[in-house]
Amino acid sequence: MAVTLRKSTELFTVAKWLTRRDCRTLSSLPEKAKLASLEVTEKAETSRRRPKKVNPLLENRHAYPEFLPDPNPKWRNSLREKLERADMLKRRNQIDIPEFYVGSILAVTIADPHSQGKTNRFVGICIERKGCGLRAEFTLRNVVDHQGVEVRYDLYDPTIHKIQVLRVEKRLDDKLFYLRDALPEYSTFSFDMDPEILPEGTPVPINPVKVELKPKPWLERWERQELQGISNIEQYLTKKDKVRRELRKTPWEKYDLMKQYRKTIPIEEQTDIWSEVNSQLQQLQLARKKSTRKRTFSAPKTQLG
Amino acid sequence: MNQAEVSKLVSKLRMNIKPEHRRLKNLKGPEGRIDKLRKTVTGLIKFERIELNINRGDEARQYAERLISEAIRHGDCHKPTMDMANFWLLEKQLVHKLFKVLVPRFENSTVSYTKMIKAPKAQNTEHTNKIVLELRGNPYPDLIVKQPNNRLWIQNVLLDAAKYDYRQSKISEIAANIGKDTQLSSSSLTANNKGGTQKEES
Amino acid sequence: MKMKRHVTCLMKKLTEKSHFSTLQITRFLSTQEAIERRSYLFTLEKKRQIENVGRIEKIEVQYKGIPKDCTLVMNKNISTPYDCARHLSEWHMESSVLALLDGNLHWDMHRPLTESCTLEFQNYKAAEPQQVNKAFWRTCSLMLGACATVAFKDTVPVHLHSFPLPDIRSGSFIYDVDLPTLSDWQPTHQEVLTLAAEYVKLCRKAVPLERLEVGEELALEMFVDNEHKSKQIPNIAKTNGKVILYRAGNHVDISRGPLISNTAQIGRLAVTAVHKLTGPTEDGVSQLYRFQGVALPKGVVLDHFAFSILMDRAKKLNPARSPFLKKEDPEINEQIENVAAQA
Repeated sequence: MAVTLRKSTELFTVAKWLTRRDCRTLSSLPEKAKLASLEVTEKAETSRRRPKKVNPLLENRHAYPEFLPDPNPKWRNSLREKLERADMLKRRNQIDIPEFYVGSILAVTIADPHSQGKTNRFVGICIERKGCGLRAEFTLRNVVDHQGVEVRYDLYDPTIHKIQVLRVEKRLDDKLFYLRDALPEYSTFSFDMDPEILPEGTPVPINPVKVELKPKPWLERWERQELQGISNIEQYLTKKDKVRRELRKTPWEKYDLMKQYRKTIPIEEQTDIWSEVNSQLQQLQLARKKSTRKRTFSAPKTQLG
Repeated sequence: MNQAEVSKLVSKLRMNIKPEHRRLKNLKGPEGRIDKLRKTVTGLIKFERIELNINRGDEARQYAERLISEAIRHGDCHKPTMDMANFWLLEKQLVHKLFKVLVPRFENSTVSYTKMIKAPKAQNTEHTNKIVLELRGNPYPDLIVKQPNNRLWIQNVLLDAAKYDYRQSKISEIAANIGKDTQLSSSSLTANNKGGTQKEES
Repeated sequence: MKMKRHVTCLMKKLTEKSHFSTLQITRFLSTQEAIERRSYLFTLEKKRQIENVGRIEKIEVQYKGIPKDCTLVMNKNISTPYDCARHLSEWHMESSVLALLDGNLHWDMHRPLTESCTLEFQNYKAAEPQQVNKAFWRTCSLMLGACATVAFKDTVPVHLHSFPLPDIRSGSFIYDVDLPTLSDWQPTHQEVLTLAAEYVKLCRKAVPLERLEVGEELALEMFVDNEHKSKQIPNIAKTNGKVILYRAGNHVDISRGPLISNTAQIGRLAVTAVHKLTGPTEDGVSQLYRFQGVALPKGVVLDHFAFSILMDRAKKLNPARSPFLKKEDPEINEQIENVAAQA
């Protein structure tokens, strides 16, 4: 784990004020409700047509993707997978690992022998989740002192004290690496952000914000990746870039049934896994709900800045 | 270690899948590969039994199985599945066949939808392993005929008779030996007894 | 050519139905000539019978079986089940052993159909193959006779005697042959192998087994050189005055039938032993040689070990009744004689 933090108190306060304002604009709470209702109606329609009902247990896969094993048969081992799942549940009984997605804003407190209070808290937007089982990891990104900082955490790292979700939402893309080449305000979040608590039962909102990229040079060829969350990419592209993009397109890939199959865990296997872990996950969720309710009633909001 | 993709749900295929796909040597690369497989899958759905080289046949089999399982899972009112069928089946009427004929046929199936059988290799030809790929429940006669063994077949009659003959000869041998055995054993017994008595005496 | 002329002369006599004596002929016919003469007479008689059919009438044959049931319109007294098979496919032609008419009557593949009927083809893998097996065994015996006549040198006259009813459980098919010049012949292993090789050669010719019903007179005429057969013929013809003959290649023999369709349907085979049967010397026939063999139909795959068991068993003297029994009890004997000749 690499932690690179710079502290300069003066700039920090300025940044706080700025980011607070930005964050408010970036936040998407009110719009969410409408979208959600739309989705619900759509789902109802499709379900009417569809003869077979999908097992509700399978919905866990979005919130806990690390419980699914690596689809590559080279790395499959049913016993190891089972043991890992048991260990993961044990760890989840120790600390509360909340439900979050790429695009959510998290605050992670981790043991750090070199810092003053022996702990280190970092806030940032989750730009990537990867790995499965005990090796699951996520990366947080923030801009501190005009310097982009990314920290990669292991989800089941025993030195993690606390993982707090400040805002649960999804973005338009699965990976947000393009934030590295975007304007810094899109990945700047204040360290003293208040957690936003969604009303119970609402689906996870999708933040439709589109970021603006800085001019070239970029770290990757974003134009070739068919990203939804970038607004101004066209203005930086040369003619050659556009031609190359056309040449590099792979329109057949979405029809490559076996490629999809090799990347996923089939329903039958998933059902086994989820029916194995579901009851414990449910208990953990209930416990979390209780604690959040307490928090909403007890904690008085402190206004800063 | 990669995370499994969760955006899509697929049914498990009831056949062995190789960890890696085959490239199916082709000038046009992956696109040409898919084009080749489209032709084969179309042919399979159309003719229900085709003969192929093993590489292309096995790849096409996987795609055909996936296509049928998608069709069964989503039915014909699901737009993406319809798109998929349109892409994979080059002839329009086969899309109807897929949803109207094959889906009812395989809906309650517990085994794979297709079958791959090794084809005989012609002598003095190149070493290409041929296979026959077919949809289950096709109207053609079976390729592998399971003949129950019939006791009345001439080879079985002959072997049965030979077995009977052998047993009879053994039995008669034993019967012939019984008399001798009893004589032998009785004599040995008496000898033993004599020995025993002698020992006791001594 | 000389022989041909002689035969045509004979035929003339036959058609005139005049009396003739056969005594002279036996003297100068060698085995090979006798075979050819018989075959030629067979051809003539067959031709005559076909010409006698006269106006061609049609019959409807309803075929049952794969690929699908169908109705064939065939010629009465001319078309055979084999012709029906030719309408269907090559597979039917090659694999069919017997025809089953109306579900109960087993019919030779090369015997003309006489009336409208249903038709099924039977092969060695039929559900109830008893009749097929018997036909196979019978054919093997008949071919063993053909093999015996061909195998010896011209100096050794061969007179075929008879073969009994097919008994597959006895483990071997047999043919009793009279070899008058060989009084004490113990065949060596090499000689037995040579016999088997001759047998295989005959079978590889893949000739059809033709069937013909002839009158007693003609039959006597054909077998004039063979004293045993000419003794048996009146017995056989007692019931209806007809004798059933079969021809495979050149070889013509008496058998009640039915036989299989083609000699190519005989697969793995072995001539295993030649045993000597001796009897009383009243008739001048003191001994016969019993040729034994074992065979499997084509397409039957049997492990070499299993086949060696069958071969070992076929080497033992077959317990079928010897033709010499008649001396003790004339009545039983007659029956046997009948059976033997008709089988």
